[in-house]
Amino acid sequence: MLLFFALPMLLTVVWSFFERTQFWMEPGFTLFAYENFFTSARAENYLYSMFHSAIAVVISFAIGFPIAVFVRRRLPQTAQHQVILLFVLPFMISELVRVFALRPVLGRTGPLNSFLMEIGLIDEPISVLLFTPTGVVIGDVLSFLPFMVFSGFLAMEAVQKYIFEVCDDLGAGRLHTFVDIIVPLAAPGIFAGSVFIFVNSLGVALVPTVLGGPGAVNAGLIVNQAIVALDFPLAMAVSAIMMATLILLLYVGHRLFDLTKIIRPIS
Amino acid sequence: MRDDFTSDLTHRLKWLYLLGVVAMLLSPVFYVIAISFNEHGFGARIYEFTFDWYRVVAGDTILLQSLEWTAYLALVTVAIAVPMGVLAAKFYRRSRRKVPFLVLMLTPLFVPADIMGSALLVYFKNLTQICEWLGDELGLTFLYGWFELGFMTAVIGMVIYTLPYVFIVILITMSRYREQQTEAARNCGATAWQAFWHVEFPQIRPGVLSACAFTTILTFNETVRTALLKGGFDTFSNVLVSQMLNIGMSGESYAMAGMMSMLSMAVIGGVLIYSLAAAERRERQARARAEPRMSA
Repeated sequence: MLLFFALPMLLTVVWSFFERTQFWMEPGFTLFAYENFFTSARAENYLYSMFHSAIAVVISFAIGFPIAVFVRRRLPQTAQHQVILLFVLPFMISELVRVFALRPVLGRTGPLNSFLMEIGLIDEPISVLLFTPTGVVIGDVLSFLPFMVFSGFLAMEAVQKYIFEVCDDLGAGRLHTFVDIIVPLAAPGIFAGSVFIFVNSLGVALVPTVLGGPGAVNAGLIVNQAIVALDFPLAMAVSAIMMATLILLLYVGHRLFDLTKIIRPIS
Repeated sequence: MRDDFTSDLTHRLKWLYLLGVVAMLLSPVFYVIAISFNEHGFGARIYEFTFDWYRVVAGDTILLQSLEWTAYLALVTVAIAVPMGVLAAKFYRRSRRKVPFLVLMLTPLFVPADIMGSALLVYFKNLTQICEWLGDELGLTFLYGWFELGFMTAVIGMVIYTLPYVFIVILITMSRYREQQTEAARNCGATAWQAFWHVEFPQIRPGVLSACAFTTILTFNETVRTALLKGGFDTFSNVLVSQMLNIGMSGESYAMAGMMSMLSMAVIGGVLIYSLAAAERRERQARARAEPRMSA
C-alpha cells in the first residue's frame, strides 16, 4: 500500500510541478499547470461540481440516514445485517451499468416520464432530468447512496437503544431526539459517508460523461481530458488539488469527530 | 421484526420506505435486464421475449476473449488481495498504533477511480523509465519492461482498489473471534499455522468467502482503473463502455449489461443466503447448548 498507493499519490504533487513536453513531461519546477487550471474555466467548473456534489450529499443524507436509524432502532440485532445487505446488492452492480441504465429511464421517452404522464402528474415529458446538472446529481445520489446507509449504520452503533427510551421518557420530540441526540452521536459515520459521496461525486468522470451532457465537467473528467490531451502535469495538478481537498476534509473530520469511532465496534 | 411499541402502521410505512429506496436503486438495472430480453430493443412498443441478444454476445469472439481476460484478472486479484486482507486484519487487531495503519488501508476507498488510475498510470510510466535507466547503467537487461502497462499493472491497480473492501469484510468477521482460542491451541502444542488453519480460519471462513466474492465482482465491474492500466488487453467492462460511448446502447450492450448485473445479483444473493443459513445454524447451536441436558 505504501509503494503502490501512498507513494504515487504523494508524487502527484511533485509531477504537477514538472514541465510538459510534447508527449510526456520532464523534471523541473513550474507553476504552469496550476496557472492553467486556476485561470481557465476549469477552476469554475471544479467549483460548480463541488456545489453539485454538496447537493448530492444532502439528498443522500436525507434519504439514506433515516434508513440506518430505522434498522438500528427498530429491528432486532439478528435481522439488522441482513437488511443492510440489501443495500450491498445495488452497490455491487457495476456503476457503469447503473449509470448507463439511467439514460433510458430518465429520458423524455423513458419509463419515468411515461409513468408521470400516465398518472396525470405532468402534461409533457420533463427534459431537465437528463443531460443537465440535475441528471448528474440524480446519478451521483443513485450511485453513492448505499454508502450513506453503510456508514450511518456503523455510526448508529454509538447510539445505544436505552438512549431512545430515555428521550421518550423525558418527552423529547422526534425532531429534538434526531437533531440533538442522534446526529451528534452518529456524526463520525455521517461525516465519513458524506466525504465519500462528496469526493466521488467530484472525482468519478462517468456520471457527468453519461448523464451531464456536453457542458458537464467534474474533477475526474478534467483529469481524463488532460490525459487524453497528453497534458500530464495538468492531470497531476488537478489530482493533487483533489487529494488536498480529500485530506483536508478527513483531517478536519477526524479532529472534530474522531473518525476511528466508526470502526471501533468491529476492531 | 420489531422490538418496541411503535404503531403497526408507522412500522409498515418505514419498511415500505426502506424497500422503496432499494427498489429505486435497483429499478434502472431491472429495466435494462428487461430490455435485454426484448427482441425489438429499447423504445419499442412491442415486447417479445428473446435470448437472441445473449446469443449475439456469446458468439462474439472479442467479447469472449475480454471475458476470459477479466476472469484471469479476477482470479489473480483474489489470490493476492484476500490473503493480504487476512494478514492486514490480523496485524491491525494486534497493533498498538492503529490510526496510521487504518488511514493507509482505508484511504483508497475515498479516492475516485479516475484520480487513482491516472496517478498509477504516471507512476508506472516513470517506474518503467527508471527500470530502463537502471538496466542501461548496470547492464541488467532483465530490468526492462517490468512496469510496462499490462496484466501485472492492472493486477496491482485492482489489488490496491479491492484491498480496503477485503480488509473491512474480514475485520468484521474477525471481531467475533476471540484471540484466547488461538492461545489455548498454542498451549496445547499447535504451531502458529495449525492454530490459524484449524481454529481461527473455520470461524472467519464466511468473511473470507464473502471477500472473495466481493473482489471478483469489483474486478468484473471495474472500468476506469483497468482502462488506464491494462495495456494491450481488454476487460469485459472496457468493451462495454467503449461500445456504449462510441456506438450507443445497442441490444448487445443491454445484454452485456444484463449479464454483468445478473452475475453480481447471483453472487450477492448467494452470499446473502449463505450468511442467513450460517446465522440460523449458529442460533440453533446456541439454543441447543442452552437447553438443559436430560440425565441418563
